[in-house]
Amino acid sequence: MNRRGYGEFEMTFKIIPKSVLAEWFDALNRDYRVLGPKPKAGQFIFDEIQTIEDVDLEYPTTILPPKKVLLPTKEVLFSFDANESQFEPQIEAVPVIILGIHTCDMHAIALLDHVFSSGYPDQHYLARRTKTTLISIECLKPCSEHAFCKDTGTLSVTEEFDLHLTDLGEDYAVDIGSEKGELIMANAPGVREAEIDDYQRLETVMSQKWARFPYRLNFDVSELPSLLSVSYDSILWKILGTKCMGCGSCTVVCPTCYCFDVVDEIDFSLETGERIRVWDSCQLNMFATVADGHNFRESHGARVRHRFFRKGKYLASAYGQRGCVGCGRCAQACLAHITPIETFNELYRRQFLTVYEPRGTMP
Amino acid sequence: MASTIPKARIAFFDFTCCEGCQLAVADALQTHLDLLEAVEIVNFREVMSEKSDDYMIAFVEGSCTRMSDEARLKVIRENAQILVALGACAHIGGVNAIRTGLDIAGVRRYVYGEKAMFFETDSARPIDAVVPVDAYIPGCPIDLDEFVRTVKALLLGRIPILHDYPVCVECKMKENVCLYTIDKTCLGPITRAGCGAICPTFGVGCEGCRGLISNPNIRSLKEVFSENGFDEKTLMEKMKIFLSYQTMESES
Repeated sequence: MNRRGYGEFEMTFKIIPKSVLAEWFDALNRDYRVLGPKPKAGQFIFDEIQTIEDVDLEYPTTILPPKKVLLPTKEVLFSFDANESQFEPQIEAVPVIILGIHTCDMHAIALLDHVFSSGYPDQHYLARRTKTTLISIECLKPCSEHAFCKDTGTLSVTEEFDLHLTDLGEDYAVDIGSEKGELIMANAPGVREAEIDDYQRLETVMSQKWARFPYRLNFDVSELPSLLSVSYDSILWKILGTKCMGCGSCTVVCPTCYCFDVVDEIDFSLETGERIRVWDSCQLNMFATVADGHNFRESHGARVRHRFFRKGKYLASAYGQRGCVGCGRCAQACLAHITPIETFNELYRRQFLTVYEPRGTMP
Repeated sequence: MASTIPKARIAFFDFTCCEGCQLAVADALQTHLDLLEAVEIVNFREVMSEKSDDYMIAFVEGSCTRMSDEARLKVIRENAQILVALGACAHIGGVNAIRTGLDIAGVRRYVYGEKAMFFETDSARPIDAVVPVDAYIPGCPIDLDEFVRTVKALLLGRIPILHDYPVCVECKMKENVCLYTIDKTCLGPITRAGCGAICPTFGVGCEGCRGLISNPNIRSLKEVFSENGFDEKTLMEKMKIFLSYQTMESES
């Protein structure tokens, strides 16, 4: 796909005026379940969009990331009849459009795609993913004091988008990334090809964007895996462990946390029922509890460390993509103020302390 | 197939409580009609007159607050193969346990005035302080679905596993706006989940009715309270409503 071409290259952008969005949404709603950022008591959630009034594409961030659409908090995997030894997979997927996805969340979806199509491909995730159309939006200003997407390199969109919007004021510039995207653009009203003026407008918007975003890490993110490696025994984990309440909010709101548990729900016949998948979290007591009741990550501190290692190192080793996309949701959700920015920066600071001060004298 | 297996005989008993959890069970009988195909209720004062001491599973609501309760509870324990604590009072002492640590004679005079001498009372205790308990259904009142799940698990010969994580997990999954961001307090971070965060979902802070998780970080919650403009006393007062007995136990 030739993107962002201009000058002597092929022009691939379309322009859709904001004034036709209402009409476009009506058309999309006929064929798709349309989800987009919707206000909820001062915050935002991805929710059903019936009309243009429901949606706010200038939203800062959402409580839960779009992963909730691809990996529901609770889903039926299959139904069973234990008496007859019969199993019936329950693979439910309806055409969905997720509208207004920030670029950090697009990186997260790229990672989830990788995770759920590796090893044993997850039919439930993939069925839903195939039917999902992703409409991302260019972030033009920082959304939260906790976001550090410029550091994590997630401030521009990944190739997973079907459509990518950039706000040009009266219009959106629309980059088409796939056949799914082409399909819904084909039915969009009032769309026109981008002209030279539009490219100049787009270039102005894009050139002004970068400087608005601050770097928040005190080091280059490429150093993160090695920083974590040398910080495994840092006393900081113990300190964070005294603050952490083990509420799991950080992992629930994380766009890349995908751990789940599987439970059976049976009928009163005690023979038929359903096998259910529910979200789980490494921060919870039972997660690392094994046979005979042993828990191999007993303390809050060990669990906090594990989470940051997953985000900064382990997933990068396993899938070639960092687990943290810098969205800031975990920091926003944490009542004890445990944040990736402060944690990573503090580890970086302590790395130098250990050179000059013997271990054990640190606060 | 299932009809050839004799139905499990179950019984309900109450001690010091409001009987609201049994009311919830009566409600479950209306919404889960298949429940009555799986079990036979042989003792349930709130819904029937017949009484039998021949039962497999006993559900006990209420806390133990009188010396005379102990003997009755022990008989139920003897009769039942499986004893289930039904609701917050039986599970953690419930609201009754607010008097934990107070002078019982004084409490009795305060409640019954000059007739105090006619009323036997003692400190309120969860039923497992008196007899061994096989399973718990927490909450004030209990969650209907959890009751149904518990019955199914017991019929399968399993002990139902309670969630050992805070209400926050379920609250976040429901995408509720955290009550601390709108100047309210909530015991969600230290309270056992399983209620679907029903109170915070409707804008009311968690009162802790399902009891503490196994490793509550109360010290950290104190910090959260003070940062949000509430003092430690407010937290302790809030924790008194349902968590008095558990707090006393963990301190001793």
